[in-house]
This record gives sequence, structure tokens and C-alpha cells, in this order.
Amino acid sequence: MKELKDYREDIERCVRCGTCRSVCPTLDTVRRESHCARGRLTLIEAYLNGEELGERYLKYIKECTLCGACYSSCPNEIDTPEIILSARAEYVKRKGLPALTTFTLKSLLEPAPLTKFALKVATKLKNLFFKNAPFESGLLSRFSLPLVGDGRLVPAPADPFFLDRAHIRALSTREDYGSLKVGFFVGCGINYLLPSIGESTIRVLEKAGIDVAVPQGQVCCGIPALSMGDVETAKRVMTRNIEVFERYGFDRIVTSCATCGHTLKDVFKLVLQDEPGMKERVEEFAGKIRDVTEFLVDEVGYRAEKREKSAGVVTYHDPCHLRRFQGISEQPRRLLEESPYEFRGMKNPCRCCGLGGGVSFTNYELSIKIAERKAENIKKSGADVVATACPGCIVQLKDALHHHDVRAKVVHVVELL
Amino acid sequence: MEVLAEPVKKELVRILSPENISFEEEDILCYSYDATGRRALPECVLFPHTAEEVSLILKMANAEGIPVVPRGAGTGFTGGSLPLRGGIVMSTERMTTMEMDQENMTAMCGAGVVTWDLSQRAESLGLFYPPDPTSLKVSTIGGNIAECAGGPRGLKYGVTKDYVLALEVVLPTGEILKTAPGKTLKGVVGYNLTGLLTGSEGTLGVVTRAYLRLLPIPEEKRLLVATFDTLERAGQGVIEIVRGGVIPSALELIDGVCLKAVDEYAKVGLSGVGAAIIVEVDGTGGLTERDIERARQVCQKMGALNIEVAEEEKRMKELWGLRRAISPALKRVGSLKLNEDVVVPRTNIVELIRGLEDIGRGRDVTIASFGHAGDGNIHVNIMVDRDDPEEVERGEAAVKDLFELTLELGGTISGEHGVGVTKSDYIGMELHKDTLELMMRIKRAFDPNNILNPGKIFKEEMERV
Repeated sequence: MKELKDYREDIERCVRCGTCRSVCPTLDTVRRESHCARGRLTLIEAYLNGEELGERYLKYIKECTLCGACYSSCPNEIDTPEIILSARAEYVKRKGLPALTTFTLKSLLEPAPLTKFALKVATKLKNLFFKNAPFESGLLSRFSLPLVGDGRLVPAPADPFFLDRAHIRALSTREDYGSLKVGFFVGCGINYLLPSIGESTIRVLEKAGIDVAVPQGQVCCGIPALSMGDVETAKRVMTRNIEVFERYGFDRIVTSCATCGHTLKDVFKLVLQDEPGMKERVEEFAGKIRDVTEFLVDEVGYRAEKREKSAGVVTYHDPCHLRRFQGISEQPRRLLEESPYEFRGMKNPCRCCGLGGGVSFTNYELSIKIAERKAENIKKSGADVVATACPGCIVQLKDALHHHDVRAKVVHVVELL
Repeated sequence: MEVLAEPVKKELVRILSPENISFEEEDILCYSYDATGRRALPECVLFPHTAEEVSLILKMANAEGIPVVPRGAGTGFTGGSLPLRGGIVMSTERMTTMEMDQENMTAMCGAGVVTWDLSQRAESLGLFYPPDPTSLKVSTIGGNIAECAGGPRGLKYGVTKDYVLALEVVLPTGEILKTAPGKTLKGVVGYNLTGLLTGSEGTLGVVTRAYLRLLPIPEEKRLLVATFDTLERAGQGVIEIVRGGVIPSALELIDGVCLKAVDEYAKVGLSGVGAAIIVEVDGTGGLTERDIERARQVCQKMGALNIEVAEEEKRMKELWGLRRAISPALKRVGSLKLNEDVVVPRTNIVELIRGLEDIGRGRDVTIASFGHAGDGNIHVNIMVDRDDPEEVERGEAAVKDLFELTLELGGTISGEHGVGVTKSDYIGMELHKDTLELMMRIKRAFDPNNILNPGKIFKEEMERV
């Protein structure tokens, strides 16, 4: 992976025009120059020049959702999200990660039997820490919890986890495939929190005549570790995933998580291509990745039986990792036409929900405040259901709508098919 | 650079709540620059919300002799918001109240309202705020007023000063005043302080609120792009379009260097020609149809290589996106951009263009030009390599040539960027010494201790007279 100093030339291309200020969801929320690409690049440049910057520097580069809005509007095409990832990694390399973060990352991303056991115990004990939310399916923390925060609405943990379900386990040893050999990359959001998206994905793919396998032994995509600056953990889980999927010789690997999709397609290359013997392997792996909406529309030509548009009104939120980083925005909307819902767009559908880049953990208050504008726009759309294509966005939007008393359901596009 | 004394810091902390004040290195760095690429470090950054807070800060700064530099979004091209002498940067970005009066067609905006947010809000009510500096999605109303920002619509609609009805302003000595009633379109009682403050580059007072005039929104808009083999021919086209009786809502000229640089980013297929013009007409009752046709005929007669009338909203946005990206995208042409915004009477733009070619050749530098040619305002960018001192020197000589030429052609050395720090060496070329002396007397009357944005507009030796 490139080191921070290798980005010096990119950083120097910034002419301080400030265009990023007009699109950055964090600037819009805190109104402070440190919260836009121009400010953050200035700080990173100062850091590279050896200025003594401390906790506040770390705070500012960590409070970026990595949504990529600055990159797509930058007239000099500076990939600030990539530079910020590198700056976080550099800082961690020098100062180390807080113990709690390290423990959580390691236990969640590389689940040892003991961690799994602990998570299951936690699931059983959830009522001690959480209460049921009044009108949204989910749990509310009873008090401030590490990495959760006070008053946050979180989905109840999956019970059992998606990958542990008997019928999903059975799909790991499939022998018969149709014309395409397709594997499903699950990701943490679906495995631990929103298994119904996984179930719907399998259902829809099978309905479309696709035989899909779900390899056991797959782990987290690695982006949470990388967002926190933990490059070593990221490398390990990424390599592990490649090994697991390579054994099957899939033609396509489908994911229903926008973040996992972007990570598998692009970030794997960024992190692994300079590792010995990995360049071709990671290229080949990345070339097989498809977002489920992309796969269904572009390669399967998914069509539902004729349906009455009688179920209500649906709007669509563009996940940053799908629209900006993978260029996928038409396909999910196209799929919604196949749903029994009438579609109505919302204002600024591609504004970040505020969850990404680890902001939800490093500064929950900021994260949920970023989502306020989103909640308003959803409310104004008058939709009964918000569809999106990323479990992360779903968790965040459920929480944000609950906070702002907007009674719309949040689902993944495939759940409406 | 002086260090803020402890009692001063204590007083500031008493005036503002902790989240609205910072002495931290990280924040100081983030408020040390603007779009000129120059740097100057303040000692603290303040985010006041009200005129009362601004007043308390200024009273203290005035008593202690601490420089205060007001700042909007930091998108200026002449260094207006750079804290040249350290001290306090007073960011207005959190003053974001906005009240619309639909029936009187006026708006009241906090200084930190982003121009784009105002224009969107106005549009939602069927109203129109015409000033559209290229930075409008970023820059603030306060900053636009300080610099008297212009923009493409200048030809038909004028510039910021034509829409400011009144200002709430805090003087460097702490008094809070309102320059006019705010919702009346006329008013001649006393001196026109609104006019004096608009374009005063934050040297006379801190604008905290602006009362602005709005227009009904034009119902129709049409846009045309024409390409030409030479910049001169395109310039002639600009003159002929207006001569033919069309006053476009925007009439932009872009040379081949700019087209190449920006097309690498925007990819709208406009590179490889000598120049292009963008003509936008607006109006009601089918008039735009007639105007765009007239403009098209003129372009054809002037030998345009290609003429495209943009039919779709999406294409119009794409072309304006390209136009807005030119200035920053020029980084691809040279590492240092000497960015000037001269204006000449419209009928002299062809002569200006010819002169630019001579200057570029004579000084052996690349010149990239674009701008609001319809009102005679051309952004002339002299592109040099910042690591080549000899080339930088030639570039600076070219700037001087450009100003001499502009003044010979009856123009002014800055149409909308202001003087700030980048042009203060040249102000004497345009203004008579008596005029300058009067301006200095005005400055002293407002700011006897020279604490507000010191070092801007006037050269240091003038300040001491």
C-alpha cells in the first residue's frame, strides 16, 4: 500500500478553491474549515512537513465519512478519501490504536470461536443493555455503551447469524451450477445485523434462476479496520477472503453491501497489489465482484411478474459507495420499477447518510447530525419506504428516522422484489 | 507576529462559547489560506453568531491593537481574508440566518449564508438573486459583499452592489449600525454607506447581515455554445451579439488553453479549438427563442466552427459546470497562476485580446484567458512555473504590461476580485494620488487604529501617512 508521503504530489495539486466546501456533508454540519477536503489536505501536508500536530489532527481526519463527494467535485481530481485513509494508517503506525478499538476490530473481523461465543452470550443478554424501540424494529441502548453511544437505535443482532444458519451452511457445498457459477459475499452488516437482506438476496437470485453458493470461512471485507488505520488487520482479512473464494473458481461474486462491493472491487487492489504474489490474484478477484443490483439488471435482466403498484410509495437513497465509487445509480432504481411500490425520488439522494468512514463510532453525535438533512428529505418525499443498497446506510437511516420521528421503513432494494 | 496576551484570550473566551473559539494549531492552519494559495497564520479563529458578539470582539481588539480579519468561505483571489499580520480571523460561516419577504421581493441574510443557498431559496419562491460569482456554491453573501462579487450575469443584471439594499455592519470601534431601512428599494437620506461598504474588502467594517433585493425569476432560459478558430474571432463575436440587440444573461469567452485544461476534467468535448463562447439568454414570453436565434445567426456570420444550442437542462448544467471548473483546473497548465480580472469597455475586447498575444510572446509566458467578455471583464491568467524564479519574474512583468494595456484601453485593473494584497502594488497605476489620499482618510475615519484587515488594498507606506 502506498505510504502517506507518496501522496505529496496529489496533495500539492490542491489550489484551495474550496469547491469541496459546497459538497462535504461534515462541513455542512459543523461549519468549520477543518471539516472539508481543503482543510484536511492542508493539515496532512503540515503533518508531512513535520509539524507537531496532535489529537485534534487525528480527530479532524477521523471525522471524514469518506463519502467521496469532494473527490467527484474536485476540478483537480484529488482523491482525498484515499489520502485520508493513508493519513489514518500513518498515524496509527506511529502512535498505535486505542486498546478497545484494537480488541473490537480483531474480535469482530477475525472471529475466533471464543468471540463468537461471547457475541452469542451478548445476544442473549441484550435486554440488559437495550430496550425495544417504540415504533421501529430495533433496539435502543439503555445507557451510553462503548462504540454504540447513548440513545442509538441499533438492529437486534441476528439470531442465529446469517452464515451459521443451516440452510445457508448447506449452500457452501453446492455442486450443481447453471451457466454461471456465482458466490455470495455476505459482509458483517448482513451476517450480524440484517440477515433478512442475505435471505432476500438468495431468494431473488434463485428466483432469477441463478445458483448461488455461500462459502463458509469468509470474513469481514476489511474496511472497518482500514478506516481506523489498522492496515495489518485489513491485509489479513482481505487475503483470507481471496483464499476462501478462490477455492470455488466462481465466475461472479455478488454482494448486497455497497461498502463491501467498493472494498472488494477497489480497496483490495489498493491494499494488496504490492504484496508479493498478490497483484494478479487480487486483480482477478476484483474483476468478478458485482453489486447485486448491478448483477440483476446488467447481467440477469431481472423481471418480476406483472405487479400492481399498490403497496405504497418508495424512495431511494444512493449509498456513497455504490454511486460515487462504483458508478451504480440507475440499476437499483430500475429494480424498484419491478417492485409493487410507486417510486418517488427525494432531494439530493446521493448525500451521505453520515455513517461511513468510522464517523459513526468516532463521533456519533456528528454522524447522526449529518443524517438530519437526509431525514428531512425523506420526510419531504412522503415515501412510506426508503430503499437503499447498503446495510450500513440502512442501520444509519433507521436510527436517523427514529431520531427525527419520521415514520418510514428502511429496506434493501432486494427485499422489495 | 505578536502573541495574544492571556487576558485577551480570557476575554475572548468570556465573549464566545468554547465551540466558537480556537487557539489550536490545527484550526489556525485551516484559516491561514484562501484561493490565492498564499499563507499567513492567525493566532486564533473566532466564530461569532451575532453582531453583538462581533461588537464585543472588535471593541477589545481595538483597545488592544489586535488585527482582525473577517472571513467568509476563503475563496477570494486577492488575499482579502488572509491574516497578513496575525491576530484574529473572524469567520462569519456560522451566521446563517435567512429570512425571505416574498411580497416585497427582498431577503435578509446572515453574512455566512452561502450564495447558492440564497439563490435556491429564492428560486423556490419564484424569485431570483442574480449575482452569480463563479464560486457561488461555496462563497458567502458576506464575502460577496466585501469584494462586490460579479459573475457571468453582470452584463444584463449587474453585480452584487446592485442588489444590496442595506447592511448591518459593526465598525472597527464596535458600533453596530444599519445603513438603510432594508426593505425599501430607494433611500437617499445621508451618504450612501451601503455603497461605500460594498466592495470595501473588509477594511471598513464587519458586515453581519445583508438586506438584498430580489427579482422575479425569468421563465425561460436558452443556452448556446459556439466554437471559433481564434480567440480574436470569438471576441469579435461577443461584440457583434450585443451590437445585434441581444443582451444575454451571460456571455462568456473561453480560450483554447482553458478549454484543453478543463476538458480533461469535465469531458464535454470542447477541446481542440481556438476559443468558445457561451451565450445564455433568459426572459419571458418566447423572447428567448428570438434572442438565441439572433445570437446563432451572428455566430454563423462570424465564422463559428460549430454551434450547439443546448436543449436540455442537463446539458446546460454540464456546460456551466465546465465553465466553473476552469479556474482551478488551470493548475494543469502551470504550477503558479497569476490571476487577473481586468475590464475594458466591451468594444475594446478585441484590442485587449490582440495585446495579450503580444504580451505572451514578448514575455515568453503562457496566457490563459476566459471570462465574462460580454461586460468586458476578462480573467487573464499568466501561467508560470513556481519553481523557476526567472519565469515568475517574467510573469510579473507580464502582469504590469497587462495593467498598462488595460488602462490605455479605458479599463480597470480589477472587475470583481478586488485589490487585497495581490494588487496593492498596482493601485497607484489606476487611482490618482488625491483619490488614494481621500480613501485613506475614509479608512482612518472608520478604523483609527488600523485593526480591521490591515495591509489590504493600500500599500504599507500609505497606511502610515
